[in-house]
Amino acid sequence: MTTPAPAGVGPAALLSVRDLTVTFGRGAHAVSAVDAVSFDIVAGETLGLVGESGCGKSTTGRALMRIVTPTAGTVELDGVDITHQRGRALRRTRTRMQMIFQDPISSLNPRRRVRDIVAEPLDCWRQMRGPERDAFIDDLLLKVGIDPLTHGDRYPRSFSGGQCQRISIARSLAMRPQLLICDEMVSALDVSVQAQILNLLEDLKAQYGLTLLFIAHDLAVVKNVSDRVAVMYLGRLCEIGPSTTLYESPAHPYTTYLLGAALEADPTSRARPDVLEGEPPSPLNPPSGCRFRTRCPRASDRCASETPALREVAPGHRVACHFPLVRVVDDGA
Amino acid sequence: MSATPERTTSATTAPVASEPVLLSVRDLTTTFATNAGPLRAVDGVSFDLGREEVLGVVGESGSGKTVLSRTIMGLLARSRVTVSGSVRLDGVEIVGASENAMRQLWSTRVAMVFQDPMTSLNPVMRVGHQIDEVLRVRLGLSRTAARARSLELLSLVGIPSPAERYRAYPGQLSGGMRQRVVIAIALAGAPALLLADEPTTGLDVTIQAQILNLLDDLTARLHMSVVLVTHDLGVVATRTSRIMVMYAGRVVESGPTADVFADHRMPYTRALLECSPRVSNAPHTRLAAIPGRPPNLAALPAGCSFAPRCAYATERCHREVPALVETTTPGHQYACWNPLPARGGPRP
Repeated sequence: MTTPAPAGVGPAALLSVRDLTVTFGRGAHAVSAVDAVSFDIVAGETLGLVGESGCGKSTTGRALMRIVTPTAGTVELDGVDITHQRGRALRRTRTRMQMIFQDPISSLNPRRRVRDIVAEPLDCWRQMRGPERDAFIDDLLLKVGIDPLTHGDRYPRSFSGGQCQRISIARSLAMRPQLLICDEMVSALDVSVQAQILNLLEDLKAQYGLTLLFIAHDLAVVKNVSDRVAVMYLGRLCEIGPSTTLYESPAHPYTTYLLGAALEADPTSRARPDVLEGEPPSPLNPPSGCRFRTRCPRASDRCASETPALREVAPGHRVACHFPLVRVVDDGA
Repeated sequence: MSATPERTTSATTAPVASEPVLLSVRDLTTTFATNAGPLRAVDGVSFDLGREEVLGVVGESGSGKTVLSRTIMGLLARSRVTVSGSVRLDGVEIVGASENAMRQLWSTRVAMVFQDPMTSLNPVMRVGHQIDEVLRVRLGLSRTAARARSLELLSLVGIPSPAERYRAYPGQLSGGMRQRVVIAIALAGAPALLLADEPTTGLDVTIQAQILNLLDDLTARLHMSVVLVTHDLGVVATRTSRIMVMYAGRVVESGPTADVFADHRMPYTRALLECSPRVSNAPHTRLAAIPGRPPNLAALPAGCSFAPRCAYATERCHREVPALVETTTPGHQYACWNPLPARGGPRP
């Protein structure tokens, strides 16, 4: 299900986000949760979105699904502006992009049988009925590793967290979406189960030709699934680029600290990483200019007065920093 | 104003560094009475913890790691729990000790840091007063002396502007700051043993690094021994001298950290290491997932609990529980009928 690429510009984006801004509250109480975030997701790829709590990664995902309303900016799905869609058009759009949430148990209705939970999107749209619907649901449950014959008529409470997450995945696939937004979908699971779910996600992605926005705080998990990775800090995008490049030669000082703090299960790794001191400032009153400058060892006056724009440091690798850690090959443009 | 210096308190709590072993656990078994029958959450665990030693306890949910730390701390409700075996802290038996006897040990001999800093603090009490409370009740400090010591503790755990934070309520602090307060409370009585149960789970990575470094510094400075309980192999890899891997209530492998990581013999240890995603992996690396899920403790399989998920399981594994056996490395033990070959040996 790939979109034909316009001549000469590489593959077209399935999802195109421009200056997405989400502000909660007004006036003195306004919290700038997401501020002018722009990125594209090409059909068939996985974009990882990482950052610490409060950086706006989940709000970004929710704004794309229109669970929260963007304050400014545009979101285009397959070239169609969906930012201001309402009613039936919005509902139709949501069948093409689906979200999987962190807590697998609370995202399933405890009073409904698994089979009906998974079938609900189909029933809402009256897409299939009778034996055709039942066969479709059984097939979907089998694909996520739940036996429909023995487990299809059970309630969510009789499943473990990992199994509930499988059921959530099945439900999200019922309408055959193009884009899946996974918000911390494995962070509540044990490592052994987490690995199963990540492998399942990769299999289904290949099978259904899915495009993924994978939001998570765990840098190792994100590296394992993503083609490209975007890093957010206090509502803004700091850096975006191919996963391997970004992890091997991060250009933004914040990315360096974030990666340095990631713990490897290896006793020979560096015991005491350079620790980023302090905590993120309040989004109620973010610093002027670059939002990371209050904790950045490289910050200068320019960082306080001028907000850094995303600039390309290598093909496809862009960073929002006045003093990036790698040399800028293409300044501005 | 009382002129009691805080040193009068530390005299009563100074560690008696007579024996090399601080904590000695023998055949510890914790059984819960449930409606589904007795549930053995900790099953025959034995280990020694030396002074100023940091032991990592690793396992997935249901492995018994949290119940183990709570048993040592003596926190489990006595009505539905049976504890057998022995836990000796500095020679004092904890199993079967009365709650009053435990009270004498809490905070001054053994203290605990819990996972969730929000629920382990009182939300309607200023954080400073929560530290004062320990100092006044456990150490008998005066109000003024307690306040002075609390401020010292707050700066010891790296809280900026302690005088301001002293008056804050937990809800006004970030997760990382709250965990620092919890650590300050745990350290108030200068305990010889600190039990840290998932102290950084739920914190952001950069904050996690701060808290782990803080714990490192404090254990060295205050000559504490630490039991660090976690599900995260990354946390124990560089922060512990020894680790103990638990599965379904039993210790399946234990030994010097470097040795267990490099030369593990129990297939579960290997599976756990291999299924963890790594920052060094290439994108779309297929993870070696462990099939199935951790067993239900109320309905444990006969024999080795890991056998149903183990690639090397034989008929004997399903029948007999393997005992811990020593490897050639001192202190490295594993419980397996079909162990992985020692490093350098032939692959199975």
